[in-house]
Amino acid sequence: MATVTLNQAEKTYANGYKAIHGIDLEIQHGEFTVLVGPSGCGKSTLLRMIAGLESISDGEISIDDKVVNKVAPADRDIAMVFQNYALYPHMSNYNNMAYGLRNRGHSKSEIDSKVREAARILQLEDHLERKPSQLSGGQRQRVAMGRAIVRQPKVFLFDEPLSNLDAKLRVDMRLEIKNLQQRLGITSVYVTHDQVEAMTLADRLIVMKGGIAEQIGSPIDIYEKPETLFVAGFIGSPAMNFLPGKVSDDRTHVVVGDKVKLDLDHDVEAGRNVTVGIRPEHFRLCGDDAGPVSASVRMVESLGAETLVYLDFGIGNENVTLRVQGTHQFAKGTVLTLSITPDMIHLFDSETGKRI
Amino acid sequence: MYQSKWRIFTNHAILILGALFMIMPVWIAFVSSTHTREFVFQNGLQFWPGEHFFENYGAILFDPSATKGRVTALEMLFNSMVLGLGFAIGKVIISMMAAYAIVYFRFKLAVPLFWVVFSTLLLPLEVRIVPSYEVVASLGLLNTYTGLILPLIASATGTFFFRQFYRSVPDELLEAARLDGAGPIRFFIDILVPLSVTMIAAIFIIMFVVGWNQYLWPLLMTTDDQLYTIVIGIKQVYNSLYEGGQIPQFPKAFALTIMATIPPVLVVVVFQRMFVKGLVETEK
Ligand SMILES: Nc1ncnc2c1ncn2[C@@H]1O[C@H](COP(=O)(O)OP(=O)(O)OP(=O)(O)O)[C@@H](O)[C@H]1O
Ligand SMILES: [Mg+2]
Repeated sequence: MATVTLNQAEKTYANGYKAIHGIDLEIQHGEFTVLVGPSGCGKSTLLRMIAGLESISDGEISIDDKVVNKVAPADRDIAMVFQNYALYPHMSNYNNMAYGLRNRGHSKSEIDSKVREAARILQLEDHLERKPSQLSGGQRQRVAMGRAIVRQPKVFLFDEPLSNLDAKLRVDMRLEIKNLQQRLGITSVYVTHDQVEAMTLADRLIVMKGGIAEQIGSPIDIYEKPETLFVAGFIGSPAMNFLPGKVSDDRTHVVVGDKVKLDLDHDVEAGRNVTVGIRPEHFRLCGDDAGPVSASVRMVESLGAETLVYLDFGIGNENVTLRVQGTHQFAKGTVLTLSITPDMIHLFDSETGKRI
Repeated sequence: MYQSKWRIFTNHAILILGALFMIMPVWIAFVSSTHTREFVFQNGLQFWPGEHFFENYGAILFDPSATKGRVTALEMLFNSMVLGLGFAIGKVIISMMAAYAIVYFRFKLAVPLFWVVFSTLLLPLEVRIVPSYEVVASLGLLNTYTGLILPLIASATGTFFFRQFYRSVPDELLEAARLDGAGPIRFFIDILVPLSVTMIAAIFIIMFVVGWNQYLWPLLMTTDDQLYTIVIGIKQVYNSLYEGGQIPQFPKAFALTIMATIPPVLVVVVFQRMFVKGLVETEK
């Protein structure tokens, strides 16, 4: 177990591209931290800086209060699981797991017991003598995990470890990773661009964009109180609806388009231009009663357990997504009345994109 | 693909003709080497084996006078073997290490150095043979195996092929190995070398054959018969066929030629197995 601390960590690549713009972060003992963000935002770069595979251009990274900027990857006592597994193709799975231990001079019997223990945990006992090429994707992923856990490192680093697996296996492996991490209690940093993985795995979530940490917090905090428009749009699926609005003169409403008026309990000045964010799951259908919002149906997608309805809010071509439980049949053009409680309304500054 | 009977027939006919065309000279040389010299002299080249196989090959292998020098074919085969193996093994090792340095170590001159090495591909041995001779001579290495092999073992071709291969090895393997505590030497030995087996076999085959067939270089480097390679021996035997008013020793000359081809063929056959096996395993 260990803590990982980043202090204004920066990365400028050799070609002059600045991939990380100063990140501060403190990861606690045994915490599962997830880095999430769109492609190219610097997640892998940051992870690789922690691993020591990329140099740190500025700032400091410490593991257990010891600055590791100049420490070689092997001496940082970390283990990493790569997206493409990076197993040694010519070695048996046993040797793949044993290799790191051998290089560290463990005794044969010690290596054997550690590898067998890891294989037992990961249900790989029957595959130890085979080569990685003779395993399925999920099994290879397990071998890669095994290679990481045999060493009992201070920190686990995962770079999109599940993105090469099919959807079902991904769910299984996700649970397995979470389970394993909790059982072993090893501090972990996990990179993904899949927000379901991010939400389910994280004790703490870091949403990155363009080399900076947009928001750091527990998944639920980030879901409930996104600090910026970017975070609000990135976390949650289907994505949050954004509507341009203006706060009414008496500050009790926000007016969207020309017909929709939403109750507010925010403290904002009158007449301010804002972006209103509402999650698709936070609308409530009012049945036949008159509700505060009415909109006509443009399209319906049934997913079985839930139904996504795309509505015309009278703000141009943009759809507003509504998510309701169960299956519903709405003909195109049906007018639905909806309500929304004020505390489910997010307001963002139209210019800065910051939460109000 | 659908093929008519005719098509199959003509395809095979062409292939069989081609194969015969390639094999005939070898066959003629072989069967002619199993007759007495008088017989061949009177009746010309032969198409069917005679009865003097053991006699002729025995003489060539063990009797220095049969090869017109003071060495037997066996000794020359040994010399060629040393040259071929030294040449091939040396080239494989040197070019693997050179490529390793070029691909995996970021030193300032890596790229220009690579191009310098690469451009020497364009220079055949003959261009530098005189200066190389000077160097070997002044080091006192004439008439030694070292002098024969050492100046030839730098290989631009090998370096180039290994470089291309290393660049195709995923970076993550190196990174995983670094995290696993493998230093540069361990990574090379434990990971890169086993992954390169196919490549090594291919380059080894090519280089062995090239080394085996060297003529000009060993001719210059060796004045001592004891170091003659089989290729020089063949040349010498053919040169002296019509000397001294004797009946030309065609059968033994042919025997020597046939023997000279056997080791390269064996190397190709053995290593091709490995080569194909390597290919199949990495494909999976
Ligand atoms: N070696 C490099 N040299 C220069 N720029 C690089 C290098 N590696 C990455 N970058 C750039 O740094 C930025 C961040 O890359 P990084 O690999 O960290 O993205 P990522 O968030 O992991 O994206 P993805 O989700 O696609 O994996 C990208 O814009 C990328 O082009
Ligand atoms: Mg990445």
